[in-house]
Amino acid sequence: MDTKPLLHADKIDKSFGPTHAVKEVSLDFYPGEIHALIGENGSGKSTFTNMLTGIIPIGSGTFTLEGEQVAPRNQVDANHHGIAIVVQETGTLSGLTVAENMFLGDEDQFMHHGVKDTAAMNRRAQELLDSYGLGSIKATTVIDHYGFEERKLVEIVRSTYFDPKVLVVDETTTALSQSGRDKLFEVMRHVRELGHCVIFISHDMSEVLEMSDRISILRDGDYITTVEKKDVDEEQLKTLMVGRKMDDHYYRTDYPDYQSLPEGEVAIKAEHLKVPGQLDDVSICVHKGEIVGIGGLSECGMHEVGKALFGASYDREGTVTLSDGTEVNDINTAINHSIAYTSKDRDNESLLINDTIEDNITLPSMRDMGRFLSDKRLHAFAEKFAEAMSVKMVGVDQYVSALSGGNKQKVVLARWLGKGSEILILDSPTRGIDIKVKASIYSLLEKMRSEGKAVLIISEEIMELIGMCDRIYVMKDGKVNGELTRRPDLTEQDLIAKMV
Amino acid sequence: MGTLAKLKQNSWYGVGLLLVITVLCWVVFKILCPGTFGAPDQMLTYVQTAIIYAVGGCGLYFIVVMGLWDFSVGSILVLSCLLSIGFSQMFGYVGLIVAPILCGIVLGAANGLAYIKLRIPSLIVTVGLSLIYESLAVFASDWAGTRLSDSYKLFGSYPWNLIVALAAFLLCWFILRYTKLGTYVNAIGANEATAKNMGVDVDKYKFLAFVLCSMFVGIMSVLYIGYGTAQTPMTGMLSQSLNFKPLMGTFFGLAFKKYGRPVISIVIGEFIISMMFAGFVALGMPVTINNVITGATLLIIICITTKRVKGAVVK
Repeated sequence: MDTKPLLHADKIDKSFGPTHAVKEVSLDFYPGEIHALIGENGSGKSTFTNMLTGIIPIGSGTFTLEGEQVAPRNQVDANHHGIAIVVQETGTLSGLTVAENMFLGDEDQFMHHGVKDTAAMNRRAQELLDSYGLGSIKATTVIDHYGFEERKLVEIVRSTYFDPKVLVVDETTTALSQSGRDKLFEVMRHVRELGHCVIFISHDMSEVLEMSDRISILRDGDYITTVEKKDVDEEQLKTLMVGRKMDDHYYRTDYPDYQSLPEGEVAIKAEHLKVPGQLDDVSICVHKGEIVGIGGLSECGMHEVGKALFGASYDREGTVTLSDGTEVNDINTAINHSIAYTSKDRDNESLLINDTIEDNITLPSMRDMGRFLSDKRLHAFAEKFAEAMSVKMVGVDQYVSALSGGNKQKVVLARWLGKGSEILILDSPTRGIDIKVKASIYSLLEKMRSEGKAVLIISEEIMELIGMCDRIYVMKDGKVNGELTRRPDLTEQDLIAKMV
Repeated sequence: MGTLAKLKQNSWYGVGLLLVITVLCWVVFKILCPGTFGAPDQMLTYVQTAIIYAVGGCGLYFIVVMGLWDFSVGSILVLSCLLSIGFSQMFGYVGLIVAPILCGIVLGAANGLAYIKLRIPSLIVTVGLSLIYESLAVFASDWAGTRLSDSYKLFGSYPWNLIVALAAFLLCWFILRYTKLGTYVNAIGANEATAKNMGVDVDKYKFLAFVLCSMFVGIMSVLYIGYGTAQTPMTGMLSQSLNFKPLMGTFFGLAFKKYGRPVISIVIGEFIISMMFAGFVALGMPVTINNVITGATLLIIICITTKRVKGAVVK
């Protein structure tokens, strides 16, 4: 490895109000390396890289790239310094063509006396897309015509076509299918081969170990250490991340004898669910005191099942009935009959992102608090359940938008815990969440199960389904393609065989 | 891919659809009132009014596509018309053209500055300022009078009205396609935070959009006063009623934006509205009913052409 760092971070520091997100972090990144940055949710990884890439201003400290101090004002300015980022969520803009998205903020290369050479811009964009093997994407087409994955690939081209010296990949892989991931990994390796550096943020430890050369760990905004890939395994990384040894068995360890156990009462039952283009005659049920999983490929329709059970799926046919015979056809009926739902799209569908923790937790329970609401009572209610879920916060008056992904999910769960929901439909409950929060969510689910609550987990993580569920429905092309019961020898291959 | 899906991918699909609606509209009214609607000379009259509002619609497009509003368009139109009358008496055609356009640019800059500096919603800013512009129009009418001299009516009829309007449409198309502003107003409308992160100076382009909007209203007033030949000041927010006709064209432009030809959509949209007004008049309907049906038809057309998803959040 080159002994002279390509990028040096010196005492980088950032606070958001009372939250000290990054605490004087100093780090070196070398040419020709993929350098993973790992840590729990809220450890400061994204804040650190967002400062490097101009998404947020640097609090204090300096970044030095090839001997020159850099403080980008925005992403395009960062690009001009040779720094690029691929973000987790959608970074392309609707209403603009693919080419306009690719060169947004950087049109000057096509401007002549204030007039944009649109034809040249389109040509250049298409050349780049073709060179990445993405010729099926047309530069002149409005980007709305393409799906999430293709839009993400356009972003990858946008962030890498100019051979950045430093490429940040921030939790992007969770948003991509296997082929999309392969394409991204190919680009990352290419950047490394050019003698440049990739800063890779991921919660997937096997992916981190597969792709990176060195790994730096942040915890609660502090820099902990940097290790060589060859010197560590997954367990050691987890220990470094959380600051203590993780219990190997954060999944359930019990394997009940379902033959001899009396089957509990059916809590919720869906029959012949159909949603055009998404579900085709799906029938499932969840018993009281049972954790049921639904697995499958991302587009298999499983996420729509959760919405359908919660009365939030439109154009739905078929029935959803509860143990007392109540039919659930709308969200209000679902909430009034003790059903909780967390969406995969946490920020947009589960949270009031620009509102306080208190409002987020108390929202569905307000209807049970009488005609006149008391500030004091609402506050106490929110505090009680935020603390029960160990939400890392300054107070319940804090805005949810300032929380990390894991803490946001805790707020969502605290909301339904407060509501006393008996049926929980959890879509991707641990998406983008670190192992420590995962472990606490799993133990909460086990507790709920033992209390006789019915839990449905919809997840793309096979090990989560195998580790936590009594029964697993596997979906394929909008249909249930198999049902598996919990047993010690159940493997990923058993599920995959029914998914594809 | 099916034939319809392929057709929808074509960038001229939206324009084709609008032309089909235009023909249908003409056929329906022609059947209902064959003697009083849709003759060639009457069609030219419908075009004459449509292009006036379409110029204003082009200006409003820059604002509405960003998710903002400008409710001062009517008051700026009135004031620009009165200044056009006044300055035509002093400087002839130069005054008639330059004064309203300058008026538009200055008032658009005032709108933009107020919006950016005060940091309050564009709707409130522009409604508030329109009250001031209405009052200025009263002073302007005291100075300039309310009638345009007969010797300056060139832009009220063919071919000069068409030439001015076409120039305005071309300018709008050019700005949208060949300048950064054209891309950035769309980007800001799609996601302001992301646009900012990509280095777009959001305040600057919002300001410029307000200037452009009112500048187009200034051009519209050249045609408007030429066609109507008189303008009285309007106070007590009466000028708000003048906002809606240009805005209707803008709605068409937005609804058909996904097909990539907003300017043509604005023009054809205004023509459809203009034809409908004339059709209802030919049917002998009172203005109230006329407005009800036109409003309902606009909503129906937008609903048909916009992909509406059940349960989706619409603001």
